[in-house]
Amino acid sequence: MESAIQPSCLECVERPEHRFCDLPDEASHDFDLLKTFTVLPKGTMLFRTGEPAHNVVVLCEGRVRLSVCSESGRRLTLRIAGPGEVLGLSAVLAGSPYQMTAELLDNAQVASIRRKDLLRFLHEHREACLQVVNLLSQDLHVAYDRVRSIGLARSRRSRVPRVH
Amino acid sequence: MLSPYGLDIIESCLTCKTRNERLFCDLPAAALQAFEVIKYATAYPKGAVLFVEGQAPRGIFVLCKGRVKLSICATDGKTLIVKISEPGEVLGLSATVSGKPYELTAETIDPCQVNFVKREDFLRFLREHSDACFRVAEQLSEKYNTACHEVRSLGLSHSAGEKLAKLLLEWSSKNGEASKQEPRLKLALTHEEIAQMIGTSRETVTRLFADLKKKQIVQAKGSTLLIRNKAALKLIANNN
Repeated sequence: MESAIQPSCLECVERPEHRFCDLPDEASHDFDLLKTFTVLPKGTMLFRTGEPAHNVVVLCEGRVRLSVCSESGRRLTLRIAGPGEVLGLSAVLAGSPYQMTAELLDNAQVASIRRKDLLRFLHEHREACLQVVNLLSQDLHVAYDRVRSIGLARSRRSRVPRVH
Repeated sequence: MLSPYGLDIIESCLTCKTRNERLFCDLPAAALQAFEVIKYATAYPKGAVLFVEGQAPRGIFVLCKGRVKLSICATDGKTLIVKISEPGEVLGLSATVSGKPYELTAETIDPCQVNFVKREDFLRFLREHSDACFRVAEQLSEKYNTACHEVRSLGLSHSAGEKLAKLLLEWSSKNGEASKQEPRLKLALTHEEIAQMIGTSRETVTRLFADLKKKQIVQAKGSTLLIRNKAALKLIANNN
């Protein structure tokens, strides 16, 4: 990974528009201390399905393709994540391996935070924990939409999912 | 005194014997006492609908006893069963938190005890108790991982045979059977319901089971299924 100057979340102009990032100043300050900011090229794999979930990644800039893979290597795109999203959250909180693969579609800026730091941060900052709950709820709605579109489309045999 | 639907009702979370084994329920005493005040303990018979896909969220349902079928419906009436929920799970969680309609229909498949909490009470409870908020985050994470697993299974499996094999292997890995050479599982669902879980027809499921029995990969004894040849079932699941 290529390191860059560590910009502060407190000075980020996008902060009010990114759900997770729009935290009280004290929480944002503490998050600054825990995060590692990196600039990464297009095509970088942030994490792969089945890998141990050691970090979450906050996508500051750029887009990420989230996909699931079979053992034989076939891939199905779940969705495209955009700036402000927190990736790998469910795996880190559940203590499970990553459930999907995250690949950069653009050159991107990301802030990563280690699992144990995130867990402590969420315990110490209730607002951040509430934001995470909201984010996970939104993610779950999207996932169920995907289940609906794939599962019911396959039973009707009317649509073939995009598979690589 | 007889309990409704044959259930032994758990009157208070504070005295519940299984509390420590359940992710959401294992809260500190202060949070649990606050939860006691806002919950309504209710018993439901088998076949009761707790909430319907598309309905505005009224609140959460903590499943204390029994099992609940979670499903999605198409406009033409086709149903996909997404999951069978077990005691300890909080139903309607993401809808209640987000304010969006329930994404699934929840129907009891056993007599159930459920603790219902109204939406505004639950949101206030989360704001006031960070431990509960964290538990909710953990449970949402597990649900999300399960949904991703479902997407992978539905979207990447070639055939109904693969999906059925994966489902049987998943079920057989529970209740301490995972390490056994010939694990057993209780078939709690009909062939129709299994078909709804894997997105195929009842006739296909019946044919697939007959095929598995003929090849002696599985053996049925009443509602118990014995997996005689786990390796062969894994080969089918991996499309080999």
